[in-house]
Amino acid sequence: MTATATETKRVAYYKGCLASLSAKELDSATQALAPKVGLELVELESVTCCGAGDIHEAEPDYYLHLNARILAYAAAEGVDTLLTVCNVCTLNLRQANFILIGDSEVRARINENLVSVGVPAYERDIDVRHLLWEIAEGEGYEKLKTAAHRGLKGLKIAPFYGCQILRPSKINGFEDPDRPWSLERIIEACGGTPIDYPAKIKCCGFPIIQAREETALGELIQPIEQAMEAGADCIVTPCPLCHLSLDAWQSKLKAATGKDYGMPILHLSQLVGVAAGLEESELKFKRHVVSVKPVIEKLQI
Amino acid sequence: MQVGLKVWRFNSRSGERELQEFEISAPEEATLLDCLDIVKDKHDGTLAYRKSCRMMICGSCGMRMDGAAVLACKVRMYEIAEAGHVPVISAMGNLPIVKDLVVDMQPFWEKFKSVNPYLQPGYDEPPDGKEYRVKQERMNVIHKEALCINCGCCVSECNAMESDPDFLGPQALAKGMRFVGDPRDGAKLARLEKLNGEHGIWECTRCYFCNERCPKGVDPRDAIAKLGAESVMEGIDRDMGAKHAKWFVTSAKTTGWLRETELVPKTQGVVTAIKQTKFALGLAMKGKVPPPFPPHVAKNVQESRRLYDLVHEQGIAGYAGIVQGEHALAKLSHGNVQGESLEQIYDRPGSFSRPYLQDEEIPSGSEGGMGALNQADTTPGEEPTKMYGDNQPGEGAAK
Repeated sequence: MTATATETKRVAYYKGCLASLSAKELDSATQALAPKVGLELVELESVTCCGAGDIHEAEPDYYLHLNARILAYAAAEGVDTLLTVCNVCTLNLRQANFILIGDSEVRARINENLVSVGVPAYERDIDVRHLLWEIAEGEGYEKLKTAAHRGLKGLKIAPFYGCQILRPSKINGFEDPDRPWSLERIIEACGGTPIDYPAKIKCCGFPIIQAREETALGELIQPIEQAMEAGADCIVTPCPLCHLSLDAWQSKLKAATGKDYGMPILHLSQLVGVAAGLEESELKFKRHVVSVKPVIEKLQI
Repeated sequence: MQVGLKVWRFNSRSGERELQEFEISAPEEATLLDCLDIVKDKHDGTLAYRKSCRMMICGSCGMRMDGAAVLACKVRMYEIAEAGHVPVISAMGNLPIVKDLVVDMQPFWEKFKSVNPYLQPGYDEPPDGKEYRVKQERMNVIHKEALCINCGCCVSECNAMESDPDFLGPQALAKGMRFVGDPRDGAKLARLEKLNGEHGIWECTRCYFCNERCPKGVDPRDAIAKLGAESVMEGIDRDMGAKHAKWFVTSAKTTGWLRETELVPKTQGVVTAIKQTKFALGLAMKGKVPPPFPPHVAKNVQESRRLYDLVHEQGIAGYAGIVQGEHALAKLSHGNVQGESLEQIYDRPGSFSRPYLQDEEIPSGSEGGMGALNQADTTPGEEPTKMYGDNQPGEGAAK
């Protein structure tokens, strides 16, 4: 027991809006997967939405305060890492973190405001990291290789990175934004076959899917069509917003093109979870709009 | 040093397209533009590309290297040649190709002109005929936007413009911010109104390709966010995109978390939202429409309400909220932060040193690139740009 405890990395877990609400399957899969890849998740109770880029665009000073508050509560847990499971949370929190760390005047004013409303000041710097990065290298990757014993043999998987985990690279900076490798490495470690296609680093259209649906669908069709043509059995994404548009809005592509794509979309935690032998009660594939059944059948689970 | 280049040649009259390989010797300090000059001087005089200043200020030599828009005069070839990599050079995206690496910039200039890129009179003249002086802090607001050299690298990769060619795009919008934020300009509100149009601010899909590609550090996406913040502050918020953004603010200060189910009616209005009912029901069956009651409320959410009030009292409003962070973010630089050599990057398994945004190459060992062949530099619903040929200026326009 003691040995496991020392090998486990304790991180603050920021699940964000979607994993709390419409993408609960991401939360349950992540919680079930975490101990298998050496992560102890400390849930944060007092945190809010990161603003999803929208508050940054509507009320940027408020955005900075909300994110500083999240960082402050995470740091108060005594951890060094705030773990995210969403591209948009990752960029918003990392950007705010760099602003606070890089400008003592801005940080002093915001800390004063935080303290005046009863929030601990954000004093000790912490790092914001996506689950993808934790399991694509280092200790997490080694544990993943052992945990993924059940494998994804025979499964052709199209990695879809989305935008805000790659760009801007000066804020994310984990990997080359034009030649990312982390998802492929994880797919291979789980025994699957990564499929390559150009749209894997492009936008899914989600941020404007309500305000400019046609423009968004013109973006969304690219990864789905290309992954399909490349013979993928499913797409995997590290972002629940990409997941929502790829999975839930896929039916709208059918209405526009007459083609029934039926492309299953998996969250990163679910894909690794399948390889690690998680149960349906944890993976919750029933919550998907596009059926994941063909994937399950192919793997003979 | 020996430099290998694969160049996509294109003849707009015949529609012929060919990937041509060159092996040249160049001095070690050579840039991509220098190498193209050597190709043109010594190997093939018919190669067409634009250039002028050769020092990163005229913005003429925008083109793609391995699918990513670059200024040819800024890219040093030494490391690439040393790594044994032969990059694919092609024309920029989202603009019709005239010949080889030359694109027709007309659509770009039309959008540029549409934002009235010059100061409008209207500021208060100082009394006694004194000169009008502007404090440095007020010009800092547009420091980044003023760096734009109109090269088009951001437009080349804009994902929203690829889907809707009418989108004003990162260059024109950043230029818009350059004048909206200028204290000497007298037409701020009229500008914001116009930039809030159908193809303006709120059509940006936040793919951040523009920030990644801009060779001058303009960060057009951040300029667009500044315009959004300034519009909301000025009460110009009729657009669905603005309403969408404001609903996040309301959610954060009332429950702390996004009130997802109410987002659609708050963004699109009740009538349009009702038309989406069938679609929404499909999602609801899968638990994708969480019931709004009882609301999912964050613990201690009163803190975020009080922060909202404090923020409004302190008045760092509109674009000022973004400008305050620019000083810190300027310390970061783009690129491969982990510090791998190019050789390592090109050799890494699972990564493909090939273009992702255009149809330059079919990736080896994968059928995946075939999707790209059709994707090409095509906008959905339209013919590929390589079909533009007959209607566009011919080789005469190419330099």
